[in-house]
Amino acid sequence: MATPNQPTVTDETFPKQTNKTYALVELMHGEGPMVGKGPDGTVFSFPVVLLIEIILVLGVTLAVFLFSLVKNAPLEAIANPLVTTDPAKAPWYFVGLQELLEHMHPTVAGVLIPTCLVIFLVLLPYIDRSRAHVGVWFSTPRGKRIVVWTALYTVIATAAYVLLDNQFSLREMLRDVVPVWVAQGLVPALIIAIIVVLPALVLRLRKATTRELMIALFTIMLFSALIFTLSGFFLRGPGFKMYLPWQMPNGYNPLDGL
Amino acid sequence: MSVQTRSRWAPLTESRVWRSFFRHGPPNNPLDRSLVMTSNIFLHLHPVKVNRKSLKWSYSFGLGVISAILFGTLVFTGVLLMFYYVPSVERAYPALLNIQVSVPLGQFTRNMHRWSAHLMVLAVILHMVRVFYTGGYKPPREFNWLVGVGLLLLTLGASFTGYLLPWDQLSYWAITVGTNIAGYVPLVGAATKSLLLGGPEVGQDALIRFYTLHIAVLPVLMMLAVSIHLWRVRKDGGLAINDSNDAGDKVGEDAIGN
Repeated sequence: MATPNQPTVTDETFPKQTNKTYALVELMHGEGPMVGKGPDGTVFSFPVVLLIEIILVLGVTLAVFLFSLVKNAPLEAIANPLVTTDPAKAPWYFVGLQELLEHMHPTVAGVLIPTCLVIFLVLLPYIDRSRAHVGVWFSTPRGKRIVVWTALYTVIATAAYVLLDNQFSLREMLRDVVPVWVAQGLVPALIIAIIVVLPALVLRLRKATTRELMIALFTIMLFSALIFTLSGFFLRGPGFKMYLPWQMPNGYNPLDGL
Repeated sequence: MSVQTRSRWAPLTESRVWRSFFRHGPPNNPLDRSLVMTSNIFLHLHPVKVNRKSLKWSYSFGLGVISAILFGTLVFTGVLLMFYYVPSVERAYPALLNIQVSVPLGQFTRNMHRWSAHLMVLAVILHMVRVFYTGGYKPPREFNWLVGVGLLLLTLGASFTGYLLPWDQLSYWAITVGTNIAGYVPLVGAATKSLLLGGPEVGQDALIRFYTLHIAVLPVLMMLAVSIHLWRVRKDGGLAINDSNDAGDKVGEDAIGN
């Protein structure tokens, strides 16, 4: 309802011409931001980063290109729901879970453990918040030693569990003694929990930092996943029974299923 | 030399069409080297300047870039395969045979797609391992770690959904085993499984669902997440090694141009 051709008070307009091109906002006393710091050690991304990326593109593509020339992707007979392949294996990144299923109840192996792993990964940055030694591999020499010893321990402990449980199946031994949920759920879950918690307790006694504790837990996760995956992929043959890779019956080759 | 080069290309680089595409001069000075990055939608995910330390190969091993390159290879070869593939239980397998036997470079394209897919899962896992052991998840990079965890799950999902598409015995039984694991989830397991498969077992409904997830839903989500991931690396101050003080020189947290 304002009268036309008259600018209202709220509409601020810039003047058409002005001679003033600068303004003094504030006078600061003190030193510049770079005082006391060395050269910042940066380079322009152009062209260095782009060249590195182009080299990586060429290198990675060439590697896949050459491998694709010598090795064909597998293609078996047409899918037949009536004829089960033996063994029937999940893709290699899930075969560790399939190996776990051989040792415990599906709810523990297929649900509880994967859920715990994802929750661990999600909560990790909110648990370990210290900024000390950020950007350094394994943080400290002590961190590196923790990785080496935890990895060694995990490989031995999980490999021993897989092989022993395969030889003297715990759930078969306990079948008639205790309920199913104890034999297949509680007991294997406790064994896994003890394998995970043991190094954490040792570190606790040695006054480890949160970062060192996380390093140990991550290393346990990584290397136990590695052992379960390797066992499921290379050691499981027809009937998902355990064989040595070079003694697979019926000419089964795990690598054909990639 | 540079003067000669410039004069030779001047008719092109100073033309109105060229200047409408690129709003900067030849990137041989600091200003134009900044503009070449900031005025390009693809390059602007990079910082204008990077710390020399973050280019150290033994720090990152280029695993994130390698994962992105493999994703690009997969999109390229995947689109080529889509021209011939038909997601139907009657026609999928014959289409695979056709691609391998009749289509020029068809077998080779499928090989590239298959091996890049396996390699990408591996590269993404190794990238996460690298980021963990160098403490790259610590503040202020917590959010980007979460995006990375999401990208790992998306990568597994993309690989798993692609696994079914050849519709041979290998893919059929791998997906049957894999989705059976999902069925073990208490309460919602059966619902999750039938949501994935569109029925009680792997059939036409499962194939079209996996196909749609594989060629549309998951790649689009991944492109979005990768863009956020890369942009956020820049916003959080580049690689975590830039924040490290162990190398002896003091580097300001804000050394990277934002």
